[in-house]
Amino acid sequence: MSLFGIVIRQLVGNQAMATSKKVITRADWEKKLNDVKVKKEDMNKLVMNFLVTEGFVEAAEKFRFESGTEPDIDLATITDRMEVKKAVQSGNVEDAIEKVNDLNPEILDTNPQLFFHLQQQRLIELIRNGKVEEALEFAQEELAPRGEENQGFLEELERTVALLAFEDVTNCPVGELLDISQRLKTASEVNAAILTSQSHEKDPKLPSLLKMLIWVQNQLDEKATYPRITDFSTAALEDPAT
Amino acid sequence: MPTSATSNHPGRPEGLIGRLNSANIPYEAKLKSLRDLKNQIIGNRTKKIAYLKLGAVPSVVSILSSAASAQGCIGDSREFHDSVLIQSAAAIGSFACGLDAGVKAVLDAGAFPLLLTLISHLNEKVADAGARSLKLIYQSKLAPKYDFLQEKNMEFLLSLLNSKNENVTSLGASIITHSCQSTLEQLALSEAGIIKRLVSLLGGSISQKDASLESLAAVIKGNPEVASKFMGPESGRALNLVIELIKDKHPRTRLLACMCLISIRNTSTSYLQDSGIKSTLVLVLLELLGDPGQVGDEAPFVLSSLITEKEDMQKIAFDANVIDNLCENLNSVSFQAKRLQGTFLALGDLCSELECCRDRVLDSKVLNFITEALVHDSAEVRAATCIFLKNASRSVKNLSAGKFMNEAIAVPLVQRLWDSSTPVQVAALGALCNMVVDFTADKSLFMKCGILRHLVVLSKSMESAIRVSAVWALKNLAFHVSSRCKEEILSELTSATLASLISDPEASVQEQALSLTRNLVDGTLNSVNYVIGEDGDLVHAIGKQLQSTSKAEVLIQGMYTLSNVASGNELHKKAVMTQLLTRAGNDSETLMIKSLQSSDSRLRTATVWTLINLTLPNSPDTSTRVTELWSAGIVSQLKNMVNDPCLDVKLRARMALGQLMMFGDALT
Repeated sequence: MSLFGIVIRQLVGNQAMATSKKVITRADWEKKLNDVKVKKEDMNKLVMNFLVTEGFVEAAEKFRFESGTEPDIDLATITDRMEVKKAVQSGNVEDAIEKVNDLNPEILDTNPQLFFHLQQQRLIELIRNGKVEEALEFAQEELAPRGEENQGFLEELERTVALLAFEDVTNCPVGELLDISQRLKTASEVNAAILTSQSHEKDPKLPSLLKMLIWVQNQLDEKATYPRITDFSTAALEDPAT
Repeated sequence: MPTSATSNHPGRPEGLIGRLNSANIPYEAKLKSLRDLKNQIIGNRTKKIAYLKLGAVPSVVSILSSAASAQGCIGDSREFHDSVLIQSAAAIGSFACGLDAGVKAVLDAGAFPLLLTLISHLNEKVADAGARSLKLIYQSKLAPKYDFLQEKNMEFLLSLLNSKNENVTSLGASIITHSCQSTLEQLALSEAGIIKRLVSLLGGSISQKDASLESLAAVIKGNPEVASKFMGPESGRALNLVIELIKDKHPRTRLLACMCLISIRNTSTSYLQDSGIKSTLVLVLLELLGDPGQVGDEAPFVLSSLITEKEDMQKIAFDANVIDNLCENLNSVSFQAKRLQGTFLALGDLCSELECCRDRVLDSKVLNFITEALVHDSAEVRAATCIFLKNASRSVKNLSAGKFMNEAIAVPLVQRLWDSSTPVQVAALGALCNMVVDFTADKSLFMKCGILRHLVVLSKSMESAIRVSAVWALKNLAFHVSSRCKEEILSELTSATLASLISDPEASVQEQALSLTRNLVDGTLNSVNYVIGEDGDLVHAIGKQLQSTSKAEVLIQGMYTLSNVASGNELHKKAVMTQLLTRAGNDSETLMIKSLQSSDSRLRTATVWTLINLTLPNSPDTSTRVTELWSAGIVSQLKNMVNDPCLDVKLRARMALGQLMMFGDALT
């Protein structure tokens, strides 16, 4: 993406100039930033890429209407994907599995790790709802055979079943499996697999751009004092400490 | 699972199959059962096997069949029919996915032609489902071979590749990957313009790219003509596309791009030989070895195809620390069959030539994993482990250091001689062949494992591959050992068996049997005496084989054996004379003259050595033998050889002539 290149070239240019730790004033910095030309269309594409990958269909449609940016994927397919994601997020894993299989039966047949994680999530939901017997039966019939096929799965299964041993899960060392974050993790794994099956990037580009910004600032910190961005939600420049 | 509890539960296999087969339930309920079945088996190998045993596949195929023949309905029922088609095709595809027994059941039930008709269905989703399932079937070895040489078939294939439907184009490519084997098929595909179409798919979706790379590799493999067409006038472009793809984001695409490039460079030595691409391929594969999924399972096999029999590539891989990575794989795979097999194969390739590789492997404690790998459930893993041991033990230094001499390796390895799989037996014999050479350090260990008895029994195997390796191992066992050990070998083997091995129908067995005899009679008079004995049957067997064969290797080994025998006592020498001066059948020449006139310098050398042993001046009967040799025309023959182009022959011929002349003076 051209945007990355421009920003990095600019910053590396600064690096080269600094023999000892150089101080760059706010005025100089802003002048340099103003010299960097970023095309509006590129910014728009970045936003659209984020909306599509994260599955914000309505926002994507509105953004297309307002900015004229074309999404690189059929928006209708996003709806199906979001339904799957929502089903996992709300604990309806069985429903999610059926929807994935309708979308493309190859996904779960050729991705044992994802299939195991969905089944594991099903087990977690049974335990959460206090269906102990059903949970045990499910673990034995559906998950144990996967554990036999793969040592890693077996370990994860053992961890999950350990949830049953604690009456008060707040004291359970594997209690985090019951957190909403576990659902989100599984949901995002399914989301990524569906995207890959549709030949689409599984991660939006925006977060990697942010990561790159942080990395570049860290690099630059060693060589220069400059107005850095610390609050990423506002992207405000902070005056360099002198 | 307890069968008694199963029938009442709605999701249980028996009930579900019952509903699928029942004529009395509404079609809507059938559709629901179909979908249930599909959702139960996807991703679940255990369920697939359970349903296979219950005969689910024929039930599903018959539903697909009746739905397919009931086309042309309108309104609601069309949508309903399409759903039945989609669900049944998907269920069939899942049975075929990653399970050969499933593929077999699907093919036996006649699903193949039905799925083919779905591809051209107007409803894109139906076409998708049909193409996906066929694609999964074509990933199995059991899929029917597609005949490209029929014009009609080639047209159909092209129509698949030109389809707008992504799954259909991928299916076309999968058919090529599965079925393209002969040179003729490769040429036919190339002439039909398939390559151009495949290259254009390299710019498509992920699955199209992958399918196209795999088929390109299959079409080019081992066919220089097709390779040059691919590289042809506007080739740079196609090749560059593939080279770009080894840096693709998707690991599977990177792996297949490597596979495609390796297929090209292994086909012709003029492509992709620069050091840049060599090390790039090694580095990309090195990184893929660490992939936790299927790509990581397949990467060592692709690596093996890159380095096998190529010392330069092995060196590059060594320098890139590939060995450490492969060994790490052994630490972490918890013995998963496919990856273990690939890892040992690649390590075996690395150890095939370079001593530095062997040292590195042995230092990295790989041998600790051998015991378990040798008794692994999978025959492929056991065979790969033996092949690795064979190559790792190709080192005099390590053998002398006794690196392989411990019970943890020897005992399970000797047990593999009786493996249920022939390839494992052959590979184990190959490893033992190396390990028994000159194992002066601790010979008793293998003997204690009963290796001698095992080898003797295997030398009588019905499988010629096993006979050859068993005799080969016996030969190495007999290499430079004491007469007592030779006696032990021969008394276990018996000279009758040895004679019949010398006359084995397979030339490769004859060769090994002759060189085993050669090793047994090598050395002291005692050895010759013990092996040849008084009756001379063995010498006769050797002579007979030499008369009847035309294989150079057999002739050479046989002649050297005679030469060793000719160093024995007067009786032995006499037996050898008889063989040398025999004319077989309608032959006008004796074995001796024929051998001296051979175009193979090694055979000439061996024969002259035999003559030297027969005419040694200090033997009592030499003068009698010299007389016989003179009248058989030896002198004029040897005189022709004093300027032999082969230096060895030239020197030995002069030496033999000198000995003959010492006695010959008396004759003239």
